Amino acid sequence: MSLGSSPPNRRRILLSWGCEIAKRIFRRVSFSSRIPVAALTFFTLTLCGLPTFAQENVLRVLAWPGYADNDVVKKFESRFNARVQVTFVDSDEALSDKMHTGGKPPFDVLAANTAEIHRYTLENLLSPLNLGELPNTQRQLPRFRAVSSIDGLTANGKIYAIPFTYSSMGLIYDRKQIPIAPRSMKELWNPRYQGKVLDFNSAQHNFSFAALALGYPHPFQLTDGQMREIARKLVDLRRNLLTYYTVPEEATAYFIQHKAALMFGNYGTQQLALLRKAGADVGYVIPEEGALAWLDCWAMTQSATNRPLALAWINYMLEPDVSALLTQRQGLANTLILPPEHSSDSAHLIWIQPVENIEERESLWSRIVSGDRPERFR
Amino acid sequence: MMRPGLMVKLSLLLALIGVLASGSTGYYAYRANRTMLAGEAGRNLLTATELLGQRFSVSIDDMAADVLVLATMPSSALIAQSANDLKTKEDRARLAQVFSSFMLHHPGYLQARLIARDRFGLERIRFDRDGHGIVEVREGNLQEKGQFAYVFDTLALAPGRVYIGPITINREHGAHYAEGRPILRLAAPIATPAGVVVGVVVLDVDLAVLLKLLRTDLPADYEVYLANEWGDFLVHPDSSQSFGFDKGRRVFMQDSFAATKPLFERTANSVLINGLANPEQAHDEVLAFVRRPFGASAGNRFIVLGLGKPLSDVLSGANLLGDQIVRMILFSSLAALLLAILFARALTRPLQILTHAATHFFADNATEALPLKRTDEIGMLARCFDHMRREIKSQVDALHDKQHQLAHLANHDVLTGLPNRMLFMQKLDTAVHDATANGERLAVLFVDLDRFKQINDQFGHSFGDTVLVAVAGRLQQVLSKGHTVARLGGDEFVVLVEGAYSSDSAADLAADIVRALDSDLPVSGRKVVVGASVGISEFPQDGISARDLLLNADTAMYVAKSKGRGFWQRYGDLSGEQHVKTAYVNTLTNET
Repeated sequence: MSLGSSPPNRRRILLSWGCEIAKRIFRRVSFSSRIPVAALTFFTLTLCGLPTFAQENVLRVLAWPGYADNDVVKKFESRFNARVQVTFVDSDEALSDKMHTGGKPPFDVLAANTAEIHRYTLENLLSPLNLGELPNTQRQLPRFRAVSSIDGLTANGKIYAIPFTYSSMGLIYDRKQIPIAPRSMKELWNPRYQGKVLDFNSAQHNFSFAALALGYPHPFQLTDGQMREIARKLVDLRRNLLTYYTVPEEATAYFIQHKAALMFGNYGTQQLALLRKAGADVGYVIPEEGALAWLDCWAMTQSATNRPLALAWINYMLEPDVSALLTQRQGLANTLILPPEHSSDSAHLIWIQPVENIEERESLWSRIVSGDRPERFR
Repeated sequence: MMRPGLMVKLSLLLALIGVLASGSTGYYAYRANRTMLAGEAGRNLLTATELLGQRFSVSIDDMAADVLVLATMPSSALIAQSANDLKTKEDRARLAQVFSSFMLHHPGYLQARLIARDRFGLERIRFDRDGHGIVEVREGNLQEKGQFAYVFDTLALAPGRVYIGPITINREHGAHYAEGRPILRLAAPIATPAGVVVGVVVLDVDLAVLLKLLRTDLPADYEVYLANEWGDFLVHPDSSQSFGFDKGRRVFMQDSFAATKPLFERTANSVLINGLANPEQAHDEVLAFVRRPFGASAGNRFIVLGLGKPLSDVLSGANLLGDQIVRMILFSSLAALLLAILFARALTRPLQILTHAATHFFADNATEALPLKRTDEIGMLARCFDHMRREIKSQVDALHDKQHQLAHLANHDVLTGLPNRMLFMQKLDTAVHDATANGERLAVLFVDLDRFKQINDQFGHSFGDTVLVAVAGRLQQVLSKGHTVARLGGDEFVVLVEGAYSSDSAADLAADIVRALDSDLPVSGRKVVVGASVGISEFPQDGISARDLLLNADTAMYVAKSKGRGFWQRYGDLSGEQHVKTAYVNTLTNET
């Protein structure tokens, strides 16, 4: 169960954009093996000279680069008189490996997307959370306070994760060529923009947003018939494209050099800054059909030794200062403030879910991208 | 050896100095040689890398020429424009023949295609390489490629230009052998005679074949690296490191080899990493990296080519020299050891001679070997020592002389030079002892001068002394050498006669003495007759101790004197009464 290529790609932009600090921490703080962690622990324990004290107040955090920058961690440490060990991961696979080392996850808190949270909940790796112990959840936008409305975060009436950051996959358009913001996903197919449209090269998301454009109610659970229909629809889209892109830098280069008009923004608002930096006058829109979006949440593991400290961390992550840094440094949206690109909190976001048949989508997609003609999808 | 300690220590010290000197010289020579070789290898490798880069460019130019040939074929434009395949069937077949023969003759070409501008970039002619040979893709299997940069970018080029695409993994579905392989794409626009671009010709080149051709004359152990302008590895000896971007995890050359950073920042054209000086970046390797412009159509693009060579190969010469140096060091150490021993010996030998001379101080030949003639400190020491030795020897000699004189004085009569009573008694004791052991006989003659008192009174003591000296001389004349004559004191002399014959000869000897002293004795121009009486006692019959023998000879002498002057008397001839009487008188006389 994975959400496909989106999260790793998202990480790529995090890494390439992300401040040098994150990179440095990434290298300095261990993230692949437990030995350096042990060495670090030992080193710090030796430094403190107060092993019992340190033992009680150590928080083990598993996070993505940019979620626990050095200054943020330091502030937490001094406020709660604790020590935080951050382990960074750069893919869902790495996250899963870390969560499954040993009998119990060697972490107290972790950040993961909704699908991963759902999986870990089913595997009984997470502890339920009491919103009363997380007062900062009151500061969140209503959409995120309604945790039960987000698939994967609740089970048996208990809450297992708190939304932290998200990114939508809306439409990016050139304001000069399209003076009035497009309202529908269908604009991607508009022959007026023939050869001026950019699409992200990903099987899962293309099928899902095409399903949205076609008005299918379950974009993550498609029937065989719907799948074939969408394949032909995606061939049509291909014929309207300039090309496909995989990394945001590539998209920016095509957008500028080939004067693209419209783009499916897989990296959402993160891509905007890059484009604007390159001189593009671009707008961002969540279409009426709704935009796919990923949502990363904080959760507490079953093996959390110091539960109050773990809860304090999650609560701390929702503080306005801390959450704002996500937007400032990573270009990601936080759950407290409405991003300027969104007209209202009611913007239709569809949290991505595991899809019905990833292999089928991949296989069809590879033929679509390679140029198979529509008659071959009957 | 007299002093092994000093000699051994000195030898070891000198040998150690020798070994250290030769060892350190050898080591530094070895190090310098290694550095030199590595530097030389690096320069050679850089040249090889530059050549490889040039060859890479030449190969691409050759292929660009191929793609241009195909694009400028007159039928190419025709086919690209034609919507109706039936009309152009023959032209198409001829052109397809050309494409197929290009594929046939260039094993590096994985795909050769003619793609039309219209119909969304539909392929019109397409040859793919598969595992067995070349397949022509036809009809419904032909795909639309307008969405690919190699099509829309090439369509934008002026006729005669060539598009050189980035080196990447072919992810196009249905591309046969090319699918999933690293490739390089070259494309050229097809133009009508009027100059309208109506399609493109695309050649997909197998990067593996290209590199294989490039590295044909490179030694097998050379490692080839290739990175694109961002530093993504395209070729890496460890294939898992190449095309990381295709697997969602980028692996950069400037991360693996930090020294290559300037190449990507365009501040350097080539970089050399020497594993000897920089083991963190090039472990046991020499690496050369060269930045080459790549893709004539886009001037800002480049690739970085690298070659790695194992340091062990480079340093095999140094290791050979190292072996020789080790042998040389062993040899020179041995020589140093021998020289050290010789030197230590040369230094300690004079000391040994001096020691020998000191321990054999009074041996005459002790100083013969002393190095007296040496002009150095050792010679001076030897001379001082010799001088000291002579001084001591002369003083000890003088002391010996004095001792000798004192001993003579203690045992001899000062006046006559004859043995005195003490020496005589010693000799008599010894003689008695010997005679007892050997069963021999001996006799003691007691001689007393008859008229010495009168002569002394008449001519004075001084004359008397002269007379005594003359008597001693006369007695020595009479007696043969085997007999001992001594002066007991005053005018008493005593003679020890040794030998088996003594019993007979003792009486004759006594008669000779009496006769000799009864004749004129010339003393200081005068002639005096002293006269003597002689008593004889014989061993063993007259006594078995020296004292008894002397006493009994004295007794016999008194008896002889009592007979008148000039007689001799054997003690053995006296009667028992006379024995006692004379012994008594003797005792009285001795006591008085």
